Amino acid sequence: MADVTLTNVRKQFGTFVALENLDIEIKSGEFVALLGPSGCGKSTTLRMLAGLEFPTSGDISIDGRVVNDVAPGKRDIAMVFQSYALYPHMSVAENIAYPLKKRGVSAADRKVAVQKAAELLQLEPLLDRKPKQLSGGQQQRVALGRALVREPKVFLLDEPLSNLDAKLRSYMRAELIELHRRLGKTMIYVTHDQLEAMTMANRIAVMHGGKLQQFDTPDAVYNRPANRFVASFIGTPSMNQLEGQLDGALFHVAGHSIPLDRTRFADDLGTGDYALGVRPEFVAIGDGELPAKIRLVENTGHEQIVTLELTDGTRLLARTDAARRLDVGQNVQIGFHPDAIHLFAPGEEGPRLNKNDAASVIPMRSR
Amino acid sequence: MIATQTITPRLERSYARLGVLLIAPTILVFSLVIVYPLLAAIYLSVFSIYTPTLEGNFVGAANYVKLLTGKAFWNSLGVTLIWTVGTLTLQIVFGVGMALLLHQNIWFRSLARSLVLFPYFLSTVVAVLVWRWLFNDLYGAMNHGLMQLGILDLPLDWLGSMPNAMIGVILVGAWKYFPFVVIAVLARLQTIPEHLYEAAKIDGAGPIARFWDVTLPQLRNVLVVIVLLRAIWDFKEFDLIYLLTGGGPVTSTQTLSLLVYQEAFGLNQMGQAAAYSVGMMLVMLVFMVVYIRKTGKEG
Ligand SMILES: Nc1ncnc2c1ncn2[C@@H]1O[C@H](COP(=O)(O)OP(=O)(O)O)[C@@H](O)[C@H]1O
Ligand SMILES: [Mg+2]
Repeated sequence: MADVTLTNVRKQFGTFVALENLDIEIKSGEFVALLGPSGCGKSTTLRMLAGLEFPTSGDISIDGRVVNDVAPGKRDIAMVFQSYALYPHMSVAENIAYPLKKRGVSAADRKVAVQKAAELLQLEPLLDRKPKQLSGGQQQRVALGRALVREPKVFLLDEPLSNLDAKLRSYMRAELIELHRRLGKTMIYVTHDQLEAMTMANRIAVMHGGKLQQFDTPDAVYNRPANRFVASFIGTPSMNQLEGQLDGALFHVAGHSIPLDRTRFADDLGTGDYALGVRPEFVAIGDGELPAKIRLVENTGHEQIVTLELTDGTRLLARTDAARRLDVGQNVQIGFHPDAIHLFAPGEEGPRLNKNDAASVIPMRSR
Repeated sequence: MIATQTITPRLERSYARLGVLLIAPTILVFSLVIVYPLLAAIYLSVFSIYTPTLEGNFVGAANYVKLLTGKAFWNSLGVTLIWTVGTLTLQIVFGVGMALLLHQNIWFRSLARSLVLFPYFLSTVVAVLVWRWLFNDLYGAMNHGLMQLGILDLPLDWLGSMPNAMIGVILVGAWKYFPFVVIAVLARLQTIPEHLYEAAKIDGAGPIARFWDVTLPQLRNVLVVIVLLRAIWDFKEFDLIYLLTGGGPVTSTQTLSLLVYQEAFGLNQMGQAAAYSVGMMLVMLVFMVVYIRKTGKEG
């Protein structure tokens, strides 16, 4: 078990800045997800932790030791690749035993360790097969076995589930949570899938454009997103963000005014452009003053996602229960749950302006 | 349903006819340039024929009896094997080594790749003339260089004495054909997933372990094909050896190809030459069978 710390890390590829000002402190035994859209620098971060890339500046430490110049094999980490990267000519048993072999563990001890890993991952009947003869899910488990066989301090996983089909993915998700619980090791998990991050991680580091946006619990990134990017990236469908003007306690959008509870927001907000954020589940149809027209109704069976259009053409989404009768083209009045409103500064990464303690969590029943 | 049942066979039949039509030219050419000479050689080998007039009489198995009981064929077979094993080993060692080197650096690779191909593309006649000049005992650059460096005291007769002649031939063969190995191995190296090396690094494998555990196993299949193909080509190599030593001194570099040539056009014994070539072909058949077995298994 080990803490993992990145201190003011910067990574450049030539002149391209892939990561900057990266400060992350991961506690021993934590399951942390690095989450962000493709190209935001998640893999680069992980590869620097593994020692496959080196930071242009800044420090990386594992278990209190700065490892900037330490070779991957000497960092006491294990990594699972998206492509699994199993050695094709070696059997499953040989693949799993390989890291032990390279560390001079005796054949007898290797056998015991492989057996133990195989039991944990239900690989016993496959030990003599070659990777080519395995399904994606089985290869995935072999890759996990190779990672955990030598009991490293830290596990690094780069989108390990993204090559699996949806059903297997949700199964493996549960398996990984269980594995983390049993081993209690630090795990750092890269994914672009917020569902994986939300369901598995103790804390999520949301990244965008090479910068850390927020590093907090799943609950916090969902309910108290640090900025507009996090608000729009976390949650499906994502949070509605209406651009308008704040004037005292009124927010003007599409020719109408929405009254705000000013005590929930920072005290020093001046008049001007802001963005109002509200999650679809807190948009009430037929209960409010804002006129809108229903453009699309998507019924998923247990709920409906309704696309609404305001008078100025702005679109937003609402989430309602499936039983409700709604027609496309119907004119409705909508309103927002007052405790669920977020206010953001303008711009793609405009910070959230709610007072920090004002968590926008509302019990399910009152939605 | 009924419609497709009646249409499919008709379509299939017309495709089959088209297939036969398309493959026919190949079969025709194959018959003309491979099957006919092969049958002709077997036919000639049971005659005693004077090459200039191509007249002779039937002698039955006499040519084969001479092949089996005489020294010439077995001597040449030995020479051929030494030459093939020697030059092939050097080709593989230098070829794989050079490919690994070129694989390291992308910028260096594109330039060096074209340079490395140079010996392979160079006409054998030109290449051999250059090498004969280098090897010359009186004015050759090789002797000059080695004497300057103090490695040799006296000029060495490179191509006129043994074992120097064999070594010389093997070296020139390796120089001429190692680019083929470089290109084939380099192409394979570039398809080895980088992740395998990264996984090995994390698993604690150093550069040498990574070569043995990742690179070499991935090269195995391509090396088998290269070794077999080059073995076949080296086994029947003619022009390079003929131009370099003419088979000499005496018959010490006279491979089977040279023996056949010598018999047919030096001694004017076309029938005996045909028998030697049939014998040579039978030896090559062994390589062929191994090659077909090995490559057939992959598919
Ligand atoms: N070896 C490299 N050379 C140049 N650019 C790279 C290299 N590796 C990654 N990048 C760039 O850095 C950015 C972050 O990449 P990566 O960390 O792989 O993103 P992701 O979040 O999708 O895993 C991308 O824009 C990518 O193109
Ligand atoms: Mg990635």
